[in-house]
Parts: sequence; C-alpha cells; structure tokens
Amino acid sequence: MKATRLLCVAMFAAACGPTSADRSALSSQTPAEAAQKAGAIKTSTDPAVNPNAAVMAGFKARVEKYAELHKDLAKGAARQKDNTSAERVHAQKTALAEKTQAARASAKQGDIFTAEMRPVFRRLLAPEMKGEEGRDAKAIIKDDAPAPGTVAFKVNAKYPEKQPKPTMPANLLLNLPPLPEPLEYRVVGQHLLLLDTATDLIVDYILNVITT
Amino acid sequence: MRCLSVIALVLITLPSVASAQDLRLPNKQGSLKFAVIGDSGQPGDGQTAIASQLAKFRTRFPFDFVLMTGDNLYGSERPRDYENKFSVPYKPIIDAGVKFYATLGNHDDAGQTQYKLFNMEGRKYYSFRPKPGVRFFSIDSNYVDDKQLDWLGKELAASGSDWKIAFFHHPLYSSGATHGSADAQRQLLEPMFLKHAVNVAIMGHEHFYERLKPQKGVAYFILGSSAKLRKGDLRKSALTAYGNDSDYAFMLIEIDGDDLHFQTISDKGATLDTGSIGRPKTTTNGK
Repeated sequence: MKATRLLCVAMFAAACGPTSADRSALSSQTPAEAAQKAGAIKTSTDPAVNPNAAVMAGFKARVEKYAELHKDLAKGAARQKDNTSAERVHAQKTALAEKTQAARASAKQGDIFTAEMRPVFRRLLAPEMKGEEGRDAKAIIKDDAPAPGTVAFKVNAKYPEKQPKPTMPANLLLNLPPLPEPLEYRVVGQHLLLLDTATDLIVDYILNVITT
Repeated sequence: MRCLSVIALVLITLPSVASAQDLRLPNKQGSLKFAVIGDSGQPGDGQTAIASQLAKFRTRFPFDFVLMTGDNLYGSERPRDYENKFSVPYKPIIDAGVKFYATLGNHDDAGQTQYKLFNMEGRKYYSFRPKPGVRFFSIDSNYVDDKQLDWLGKELAASGSDWKIAFFHHPLYSSGATHGSADAQRQLLEPMFLKHAVNVAIMGHEHFYERLKPQKGVAYFILGSSAKLRKGDLRKSALTAYGNDSDYAFMLIEIDGDDLHFQTISDKGATLDTGSIGRPKTTTNGK
C-alpha cells in the first residue's frame, strides 16, 4: 500500500474513527493501524499535532447533521411495507426531495465542503490520480460519465434523471472520509459532488477537485 | 465443527449452438433453478425476445427466480418506466410468481431498492439464501466503500460451506473493448472472494456474454446483453473461455448438490454456451 494512502486513511481514521473494511482480512490490521505501525502518520486529533483533524471533525459533524435531517424528513415513509410500487417509490422520492429542498432553501456551495475542506480533499485525491491507479480512476470516471453539460453544479439541484451516475473509483473512495446514508461522493469530470442518493439532490460540490 | 470446503472448480464446458428451445440442463427435481438477465432495462426487440424466451423456457425448466446484473432501468425512472422497461415485458413470469433479485448498475437510481418486485428491501447490497446450501450476494459495485466491504466480509464469513454466488454490475475481468476489467473493484473484492471461497461471480455492464476462464478458482460470467447489444465489442482474449457479442442472451442455471450447470440462450432460443462447474464435496473437519 502506498505511503500516501496510508497517510490519508490514517488521518481520517484519527479524525473520524477507525475504518473497518475487511481488507483487514488480508492482514489482521486496519489500514490505519498499518500506517501507524509503519510510522507514517501522526494519529493525534490534537490540531497542534494533526492540523487537519479539526477540519475533518467539522466535516463529519456536517454530514451527520445532514443525515439526521434526512431521517427526520423521511420519517414515516421510508420503511412502510406498502411503499413499494413504482408509483409509491416515485411519489416518496419526489416528496422527500421537495421537503429537503425546502428545509435547505438557504443552503449554498461550501456549507459542507467548506473553504478549509476543499484543499484537503484536493490533496487527498491528487496522489490517487497518478500512476496506474490514477489512469484506471480516470478511465472509470470517463467511462460512466453523464453527457457533458447535463449536470447542474448547484446546491439543491437534481441530478439529471436520464443520465448515468459515474462509478466512484474505489481508490478515491477509500481515501475520502466515510459518509452516512444517504450521502455518496461522485466525480463528474474534474468535479466532486456530494449527492443525496435518496432524492438525487446535489448537497454540495467542489469544482476542479481533480487536477490533470 | 465447521465444514471446510476446498475450492477447486472444475469446468466442463461445451460451447455450441444447438437447435432452438433445446434445454440442456439436468432439470432435476429438488434442484435450485434460476435465470439471469443483465443490462435488461431497455425496451425494444431484444428485451421483448428475451422476455419471451424466458417465459417459454420456464414451461420446461421451472426456475424460481431471476438475478438481474444491473442497469435494470435505462433513462428516466418514472412509474411508467418501471412498467415499460420491466413489469410489462416480464409480466408472464412475474404473474407466474417468479421473483426478481436486482443489483444496482451505473444507470440505476437508488430508488429501485424500494421497489417491491426487485426484492432489495431498501438495501443497496444484500444477501439471500433461497434454499439451504446456496447463498447469493448482491454487491453495489458502483460504490465499494469501507462499510460495504465490512458487510460483505461478515456475510461471506457467516455463509460457511454454502455455494457462494456473487452478482454485481461491473465485471472484475472482461475482454470488452468499451469497458474492460474493473481493476479498482477487483483489487478490493477479489481478495475477499478468495478468502471466503466465493464460487461464482455473475456480472453485467458489458453488452455481451462472456464466460471467463476461472480466475484463481472463481468462475466469472458476464451477462449484459439481455436488452442491449454491443456487436463487435468483445475482443476475445486469454481470459475468454467463450464469448458472444452478436446475440441478445440470458442464462439458466441449476444447482444440484455440488454441481452447478449453466446454459446461455439467445433471443432466438438457441443455446450459445453450456457447461458445469463442479465443487468438491465438503469435508468435515470435526472431532
């Protein structure tokens, strides 16, 4: 495993809690533990030791707050047994999207991906876009890309329903902070979206997060 | 004590084109019978023909359920799309009580997980055990994060000596010119497949049929031509055991004890590929 990845994973592990992937099955330790043993990281959450820890902790709090909002808005609808016909699926999604848009009417770019957060993300993703893995990641992003110009980079806008959602390259995903349901990362072109998969709403985004 | 199974798959395959409507499976009473369709959510002649063949073959091979390898609905996903792209073309077998188990492709909205007829029960990844001895794992290959890997590891570990059949959208190995092997997903999933002795992986994404040579003891199939076809896209390679990119296709599979039999059939009802995967009998490591 590359030292950069170990560093990134460990940094998030320090700020956001340990990762738990069964990749640890290959060795009996988590990537973060491996990085610690390799001496590649500083694990303290003390900002004096790890200056990104506070930034990451803030990000975690913001996405969890969004997840709580989603839970509140979806309450009473998501798990109903009769909520499973195509009509009901669509009606529920539409209603939830409208409620979410209303609840976040004043939301704007940078509310979750704050100004302090953006350079951290760029730094985390940059090494993963190099070398063989980087070439694969670029191919994946291009492979499943939506048609140019179809995605509106606007908070609370809907991801276009007729466009495919680009597959998230695994090497990028594993270097980013984990997200609670229903949030997911997606890379469109060079830009990173934070997507609410329950409503297909764009929650936030970072432009030009990937440099070529 | 737990049973240990040795993974040493033996493939006995007989690719051939046989006469239409020729059932080549043992069709034994009590065996597990199912079908597979992939990249199936596109209305048109291909989808109509495959749906029709599924219904015809089911009269002689009464499969209980159908696996869907993703891209279950192309384009918009309004209620009428669920009808036009799924419930209307497959109505005969849906009405006959056949269940569908879907996995998400890159064209699929997460809302599909709530749709009753896809049996995902709100989950982007899930497992099910239709009968003792066989477990299926639907993986969301669009988004392989730590949480899903953690879940998969636990599910696989808990499945003991069952047949382990994974199905998901992005092919870990592929000879396709358009997409090719999903290397990033393979780096994460393959070690888990090997550690937990997954027997078979069935994938989609490529709009053709390819049976790969077993890779590290795992049998891989790509079936993504049940409604879309990308003619000429399969560049047969050292990975390829058999491939077809000129016909729409679906699969019928039968598991009888330690034997899995498969038959891949075209939209015209012709057999494209057939064979068996043998699994060594489990041995008890108990005292």
